Amino acid sequence: MMRHRNLYQILFAAVIFWGCNSTQKIVTTYYAENEQVLNNIEQSFKTLYRQRPFSIEFTDRSFNFFSIEIMTDSLKYIYEFGINEKRIKDTLLKYALNEEGILDIITQMRSIQCTWINNLDYYVDQEKHSLVFISMRPVELSKPFTNKKYYIITYFSQPQYFDNEGKLLVKKQMKRTRKINGEIFWRINDKVCYTISARFR
Amino acid sequence: MVIDVVSASDEIHLKNDTTPVSTQQQAIDFIKKIDTLIKSDYWPHIRPKTFLENIRLNIYKPLSIYEGVSTNFCGYAALSYILLHDDPLQYAKFMIELYEHGEATMGKVFFHPSPEIEQAAGAMKFKGKLDISPADQIWFLSLADHFKGYLNVFDKHYDAGDEDKLWASVNYAKFNRMVRELFNEKVDAIGSDLIHPAINDLYEYISSKMKKGTMVLYINNTFLYKKTHSALKLAIPTHYIILERISKIDDTITIVYWDYGGRSLRQLTPKFLKRITYGISHCTKKMNDAP
Repeated sequence: MMRHRNLYQILFAAVIFWGCNSTQKIVTTYYAENEQVLNNIEQSFKTLYRQRPFSIEFTDRSFNFFSIEIMTDSLKYIYEFGINEKRIKDTLLKYALNEEGILDIITQMRSIQCTWINNLDYYVDQEKHSLVFISMRPVELSKPFTNKKYYIITYFSQPQYFDNEGKLLVKKQMKRTRKINGEIFWRINDKVCYTISARFR
Repeated sequence: MVIDVVSASDEIHLKNDTTPVSTQQQAIDFIKKIDTLIKSDYWPHIRPKTFLENIRLNIYKPLSIYEGVSTNFCGYAALSYILLHDDPLQYAKFMIELYEHGEATMGKVFFHPSPEIEQAAGAMKFKGKLDISPADQIWFLSLADHFKGYLNVFDKHYDAGDEDKLWASVNYAKFNRMVRELFNEKVDAIGSDLIHPAINDLYEYISSKMKKGTMVLYINNTFLYKKTHSALKLAIPTHYIILERISKIDDTITIVYWDYGGRSLRQLTPKFLKRITYGISHCTKKMNDAP
């Protein structure tokens, strides 16, 4: 009986280990395949965000509708559009957003099933830092009974610290893992991390 | 449809019907006189300097108070909006008292936070701007520690991370009770935690009430801020917002509301408004301090 119990425990641990590694492999493969597009989206977003803060979210599964949040000094404006609606341009013009740049980001997001892009603030030693947060809903995660349906990729402005397993840490000296939106993140490279999440934002 | 920006005069109109118990200037005068505080023995992780900076920010910019990423503090944040607008001096005095003595009274409520709360305040991490807002951590944690509703029955004792869990959650009756017990406000509440208010024309009801006082809506956040694309969504309210303005053109309702430390404007249909709304609390200042 005891021998069986040990066997079950070993099998359970192996399944968990295999699951973690396969997840890691899937996301890193996804990143490698779409690296160029992801980097273009991140770079364009950062440039345009400096001109006027905004975020973009695809609100439906078929990527035909999106919402744009436009931040001004006093208000955040939240608008939803169909992908080919003409009034998008009027809105971008009204808030002095770069029409061509924003539409290009939307097209690129759609091409890789990217659901959300935003700038997130985080704090280290009372100091504010920012990262670009990108969520994807790839086809392979759309199957029924899959709880975690989103890949999340974060782009930091400076190199980060990781433990031996590749988990994102708070600081070099501190072995505590950093959570973003309640999730633990893993290393892709010094400045880019990933996780799989049940939520895209 | 693109609509106009809210002007400064609109903002004045939004608040000019209330009778504040104290003014922002009174709170500024009070806090200006406090140069330094002695480090509190009750709050070991909070430095007086950052505590005072946080209080000052809330007084000067009352819209900036922020409940933190992924917490269940939205009910307490909505409550803070009322306090910081209608009685900022009481807020400032209460917070200084609570920091210095580890206990303080607001309205009918005596706060004496538990040792676990004293240890947790100032040590919260990964909550965005709340990480660097120690006074807000004291305030939110103390409220959650003191006020209990039926959602808190199974988790009454604070453990690390409970700010994201049922320990901190605020059911509708609890929210209204907190406003009544803490502030000099009359609360007309309609709604519940499970069933939408039985009002035929929600827009008409809300807009007629908004001529005075502060309007709090208890809503289903999974529709307002989508976090998944799942077709199945729990039909329960999870979020409190302060409704500052509402208008309607044809079948499009435009709302300006406050949550997460800022104002937002969005357009929705009457059907969508009805779908997300579970509670409507209209808070008005009691005149002449009437009971």
